[in-house]
Amino acid sequence: MARQFEMNDSSVVVVIGSGAGGATLSNELAKKGIDVICLEAGPRLTLADVVNHGPTMDQKMGWHDKREGPLVWICKTVGGTTMRWSGVTPLIQDHEFKALSTYGQLDNSTALIDWPLTLDELRPYYDKAEDKMGVAGSHDIPDFPETNNYKVMAAGGKRVGYKEITSSRVAINPVARNGRPGCQQLAFCNSGCTIGAKWSTLYTEVPAAELTGHFELRSEAMAMRINHDAQGRATGVVYKGKDGNMQEQNARAVCVAGNVVETTRILLNSESSMFAHGLGNSTGNVGKHYMRHTFGYALGLMPQPVNFHRNTRQSGIILDEQYHKPERGFAGGYIIETLGLDPWNVSNAVGGWGPDNTVFAENYTNIAGIFITGEDPPEAVNRISLHDTERDANGLPVPVIEYRDHPNTLAMRDHSMKMSRAIYESLGATDFAGGDIPVGAHNMGVARMSEDPKDGVTNRWGQTHDIDNLFVSDGSTFSTSAAANPTLTIVALAIRQADHIAERMLRKTL
Amino acid sequence: MNDKQTTRRKFLVAALTFSGAASSSLGISFLRSSAAWAASANDADNLAAMGRLAQLLFPHDGLADGVYGEVVGEVLAWTAADPSTDGLLVVAEEALNAAQDQDWIELSESEQLAVITALQNEAFVAGIREMVRFRLYNHPGLWKHINYPGSSKEHGGYINRGFNDIDWLPGES
Repeated sequence: MARQFEMNDSSVVVVIGSGAGGATLSNELAKKGIDVICLEAGPRLTLADVVNHGPTMDQKMGWHDKREGPLVWICKTVGGTTMRWSGVTPLIQDHEFKALSTYGQLDNSTALIDWPLTLDELRPYYDKAEDKMGVAGSHDIPDFPETNNYKVMAAGGKRVGYKEITSSRVAINPVARNGRPGCQQLAFCNSGCTIGAKWSTLYTEVPAAELTGHFELRSEAMAMRINHDAQGRATGVVYKGKDGNMQEQNARAVCVAGNVVETTRILLNSESSMFAHGLGNSTGNVGKHYMRHTFGYALGLMPQPVNFHRNTRQSGIILDEQYHKPERGFAGGYIIETLGLDPWNVSNAVGGWGPDNTVFAENYTNIAGIFITGEDPPEAVNRISLHDTERDANGLPVPVIEYRDHPNTLAMRDHSMKMSRAIYESLGATDFAGGDIPVGAHNMGVARMSEDPKDGVTNRWGQTHDIDNLFVSDGSTFSTSAAANPTLTIVALAIRQADHIAERMLRKTL
Repeated sequence: MNDKQTTRRKFLVAALTFSGAASSSLGISFLRSSAAWAASANDADNLAAMGRLAQLLFPHDGLADGVYGEVVGEVLAWTAADPSTDGLLVVAEEALNAAQDQDWIELSESEQLAVITALQNEAFVAGIREMVRFRLYNHPGLWKHINYPGSSKEHGGYINRGFNDIDWLPGES
């Protein structure tokens, strides 16, 4: 049964955000008998609200509050961006946890560090995350079926010499499991999976937490600031509720999981006389080292029909380029994944105008698509800050997002485009388009974990270095970006953080 | 009737068709602007020029002119609803017309394209281009033209309808 807690109940853990990090952490804590309130800015949809139409769903679940700078493609809805994500779940590799040790500092601008934890330490949590999310090809779950788009990528990949190719490693059910159905290949993964075959916290972690009797979800509750006491410990969260009124929920501990922009904003907006530059920000690192991966898209016009609109958007990956092979001319690696796009996104990705653009949509049924996700190095100049004067409809300072591609990112993208083109040309592609996707969909780093407090915002458990009952629980804690799509790691870290919080409560140090 | 007059007439028809089709599906702000432009020859000329612009930006042989007409009608409604963009299409037409002695829509196709190319980096051209792109490639008429079926939920997806039916790829050997 869902609980209702009193506003002045200071025994509850307050989690801000109900996406991959926030809802997973909430459920894991509630399962241990710890009382949790989750504040979610967006509304609670049902699967019946989810339709197969991109623009409609973007209006229902996209985050459209005023921001300056490049697009950060995230959701304001219960389930957060797990409603929109594609479901791809590679692991971060051992050497990527040791980015600085492995690559060395790239130049004066980059701020690579090693993670304050290792793959071996996270592996048991990866295992739990895969089981929880139902990753195809793990935990006796069958492999995900091979789609048309995957078969093209795999056949071309083999021709250019790739070996590590799989249709699995997606958190989409190939067959029914744990009350969720098998994938029907609706092909609208990024508009919300209307049958619930793709893992999203809306219909997994959130209702599971409610069943524990230790959890309350407050949707349409926009967190504004975190308050603290004279000792500098977090005491509660001020939020704007459904009725538009400001209220304060007391808290024993506060865990911020609003995705990078909102996580930065609430920490910075909570400035006080004691913490003049915001919470967790004594070393000035909140909002800095924003990473969003080396992204790329590649479209091949194939000689015969592919019909990639009949396929899950991103089921299938090639891992051969994920390793650190400096002879390629860049540090770190990238992963090649399938990509399905609707007609607008085809036109949008190709860009420009005229016949060079329209030849792709005109031959829509013959397109095969690849998505690239690779490591991008942290730089202090890539950051999220708050506008000095501009305020949004809630009266909050407008976030300002700054991001530039590092030369390492440009070199990696060039290489990935060359390889993608080779994949499609090996099968007789008649035309090719490829390039950047200048959007923040994998958002990381603005409150990164660091061994030394001067390098980051949080410690190895995601606790802020400055405040021992204030945690960050989303991709903001990534010390470096690695190449892998971040959600599986966010979930694994949230499960691990829940163990840590519970243990500290047991030891009465929280 | 010469080609240019044909072009103008085609888009006028498209625009008028659109004014009837749209009244059931769009909001009040659009109805207000559609009433205004339907009553005015200048507005009809503007729609015709913008329809031609949309067609040259995103050419699809055999796609009905009416689709482009509907798309620019939607763009007009969208821009008219916001004071910061109201009148954008008129500004665009004036800029196109100012490039040559003749009205832009009276020029040959290659001349029309030369004018667009010269103005392509202007903010209003880029803005209109992206508004057209969004509406054109989400338009059911365009989807039909390129064999994109849209929503699949009501058909049970593609699990039994060809999600893995590709048959022309080379074998593993």
